[in-house]
Amino acid sequence: MHFKARAGQKLADVILQDNLKKAKSKFVDRRATAILDLDDFEATRDSATALRDRVLNDLDLWLEKFEQQAAKSGASVLWARDGAEICWLVIDIAHRHGVKKAIKSKSMLSEEAGLNQALETAGIQPVETDLGEYILQISDNEPPSHIIAPVFHKSKEEVSALFARTHHLPAKDDIQALTREAREVLRPHFLSAEMGISGGNFLIAETGSVALVTNEGNGRMVTTLPKVHVVITGIEKVIPTLEDLATLMRLLPRSATGQSISNYFSLLTGAKQAAESDGPEHLYFILVDNGRADLVGGEFAEMLRCIRCGACMNHCPVYQAVGGHAYGWVYPGPMGAVLTPLFTGMQNALDLPQAATLCNQCGVVCPVKIPLPQLLLKLRAKQVEAHLRPFGERLGLRAWAWLALHPALYALATRIGVRYLLWLARDGKRNDRIRVLGVAPEWTLGRDFPAPEGKTFRELYAARKETA
Amino acid sequence: MSSRADILGRIRAGLGRDDANAVAGRSALDAYLAAKPQGPKPKVDGDLLARFREKSEQLSSTVDAVATPQEVPQAVARYLSAQQLPAQAVCWPELASLPWQQAGIAVEARAANSSDLLGITGCYCALAETGTLVLCSSPNTPSAASLLPETHIAIVPAGRIVSGMEEAWQLIRRETGELPRAVNFISGPSRTGDIEQTIVLGAHGPYRVHIVIVNTEK
Repeated sequence: MHFKARAGQKLADVILQDNLKKAKSKFVDRRATAILDLDDFEATRDSATALRDRVLNDLDLWLEKFEQQAAKSGASVLWARDGAEICWLVIDIAHRHGVKKAIKSKSMLSEEAGLNQALETAGIQPVETDLGEYILQISDNEPPSHIIAPVFHKSKEEVSALFARTHHLPAKDDIQALTREAREVLRPHFLSAEMGISGGNFLIAETGSVALVTNEGNGRMVTTLPKVHVVITGIEKVIPTLEDLATLMRLLPRSATGQSISNYFSLLTGAKQAAESDGPEHLYFILVDNGRADLVGGEFAEMLRCIRCGACMNHCPVYQAVGGHAYGWVYPGPMGAVLTPLFTGMQNALDLPQAATLCNQCGVVCPVKIPLPQLLLKLRAKQVEAHLRPFGERLGLRAWAWLALHPALYALATRIGVRYLLWLARDGKRNDRIRVLGVAPEWTLGRDFPAPEGKTFRELYAARKETA
Repeated sequence: MSSRADILGRIRAGLGRDDANAVAGRSALDAYLAAKPQGPKPKVDGDLLARFREKSEQLSSTVDAVATPQEVPQAVARYLSAQQLPAQAVCWPELASLPWQQAGIAVEARAANSSDLLGITGCYCALAETGTLVLCSSPNTPSAASLLPETHIAIVPAGRIVSGMEEAWQLIRRETGELPRAVNFISGPSRTGDIEQTIVLGAHGPYRVHIVIVNTEK
């Protein structure tokens, strides 16, 4: 199913529409307040953009540096070309350490790879521990609808019914009680799992560390309690120094949830020391390509700056209207509309670059200044170049191009067009609205089309020249 | 071809990498790592202690202050009775010598487990910019004590409050050289906003964070 069909369903979903309305202003308002306490938000954005570009322009060298430092700290660095290789590597590590259960902190790459299903097939129980991701897992492995608020689309009533069904406990009706119930259900899993799987917000080349940002504390549990910790992260997540981390951490929580700082933020380096009572004995990094390497140095390289804050979707009028599931893959909103065709193939996400008004709200709020509307436009151009647009659209554009090269015919056609629109607008008494547009009936489904004044610009121009 | 060689190879192709520009690139990289330039920072001037206190409270932590380390157990006892919490705790081994017993608190210096209701820790330093505690892991300062219990009490010497994250990194580099396994930045109680974007305190970590500042006079 394509975006257009899915979007239609989502617009008609009354519960979803209500949930979206409740949630949308919270992220937007909180961010607007939170950026005020940076004295120079714009300069911070510029600095973050420059440091992301610095790494991307020499990504091979920064990855080598990271790998070298991580190895020095006692971690193992592995590489994965795609989702299948991620699954294979994780399962291999699990078997090597006798792992039966893996607790997971949120990782979008694990979604890209479909890791949970692969682990289950291999006889390893995956347990999602981020509250939102846990809700999705017990909801039949539903995909997330937002990269930082995975159950953005669900109401507390839906969560309550799901918990009562899954936990066999009396249904709770307030969010506080639901949160406590999840805490109590998940705690034993934290204590019994042999492996923790996390994403990584940033990899620090200077020290070979991973930086992990969470609010719930599940990220700390996953990386403190089990004997094995596996970090799965994209190759583009490397940053140079701890100072650069400080700059990015001023932007990430503010752009994401409107917090000045996330509750928990851990910098993890190497495995546990002999005398330590907690921490993993083994630390693995899986550095993933899955479509990223081919973007380096190319015309879409700016997209690799992305720090996955979600501000673009929070501020997108299209996302706010249809929610994340309409986008069909792991990443929704404007960043998803760019990443999905680049990672999964243009022909597999044909209408995503069109699923935007190009209003540039996303570009304005992006903390690393990714020109999202321009990238969407480039993707649209690529579709045309690759002859991927539908036949009717191609025919229409060719007809228009031909007409535009023949001025006399063009003038005639527009004159007929205007007369036709006026004829459509006839409505007994008033002549200013068109209720059903014959050539594009979908456009007038939700609104009227304004009727033209009566003459084309060329006619008016000619008349004025005569009187002058 | 290994995945590593394949991935790095395609990155190099995209960047037009050759032997000459690799040498130049590596020396630019090393120069950047040596210089460690800082980005723009918000002004954190004046009284670091007052700012730390204000920001911590904004993050839903509670804050108390005492004059000497010896007075900490009494302050903890006051907090526990006000909150009607049991006077029983696990603490970092390095805090075991404080007069807990005199304050009527049963404190064990060991690794925290899931049945501990109260964890008492110190901190490596604290950030005035955001009201954040910085804890470094080590055998004497285990991570779980600030994570598993429902209440976390942190002792913060006033002299260890620095302005921002950059200053914390400088302090760690100067004092310990190598990074500890885990540097945990803690900013208030654990929370989630996953259900209807409504903030709830106490997701997987502590419900309460209480900070006792020690204003040791010179």
